[in-house]
Amino acid sequence: MENKLTQTIFSEATRLKIPAIILGGLALPAYSVFRTTIDIDICIYVNSQEVLDEFLLALKRKNIETLQKPKIEHDMFVVFGQNTEAEIWLKPCDAFSWDLQMVEKIQKYIDEVFVLSVEDYLLTKLARADRSSIDIDDILQILINNLNKIDWEYLRFRLKSKELMQDFKEILKAFEIDVNEDYQTKSKKIIEKFFNEK
Amino acid sequence: MKEQKRKNTPIHITKADVERAFKKAEQFKRLLEQGRTKEQIFKDMLRLIEGGE
Repeated sequence: MENKLTQTIFSEATRLKIPAIILGGLALPAYSVFRTTIDIDICIYVNSQEVLDEFLLALKRKNIETLQKPKIEHDMFVVFGQNTEAEIWLKPCDAFSWDLQMVEKIQKYIDEVFVLSVEDYLLTKLARADRSSIDIDDILQILINNLNKIDWEYLRFRLKSKELMQDFKEILKAFEIDVNEDYQTKSKKIIEKFFNEK
Repeated sequence: MKEQKRKNTPIHITKADVERAFKKAEQFKRLLEQGRTKEQIFKDMLRLIEGGE
């Protein structure tokens, strides 16, 4: 991977054994969805200020710096490379923090770049404070293109634990709308899987 | 740390939204059928964002 800022951040995270994932629009192709984005959103899982400081020092040595003084209790900070910047989040979503199950379900995307499980990624879209129509559009496409990959039981468990069940059911109502026959068949499958699949 | 659920904007999805989502989902599958990989798509996106890094 020849793209330096993102590559370096992930390389350093890997070297320091810090779990790191791509979030936001850049992660979408991992879930068979594409849209343009100009943001690089990365999330790291660190448990202490010492580890965070070690990570910041490692980035600084690679000429990736921040103008902030990141603290373990912060949500995110911005780092700057030569020509671009990236947001480094300390929690996968502004509405909730990491938990061990989420970390264990991280999946390899490409080289040293990882992503959340599709179920946890859906949650980050659904729970975010500034959720927009773009997030809803992303969720619809993810459900359509991953209906046979999603662990529906885990998704239901997650939605319940984050009090997002009602929001998700609102989204599912979209698949009750009368559309063409092919789409209708898939829509029915999504609803059926969500309510019945174990 | 207690996580407090904030109130998000209401969800309102139209028939046009659903049809567009299905069409876009099909477009991605076509990209894969044409030989592009998820990895290539990711790399291309990064190249566009990071430019001359």
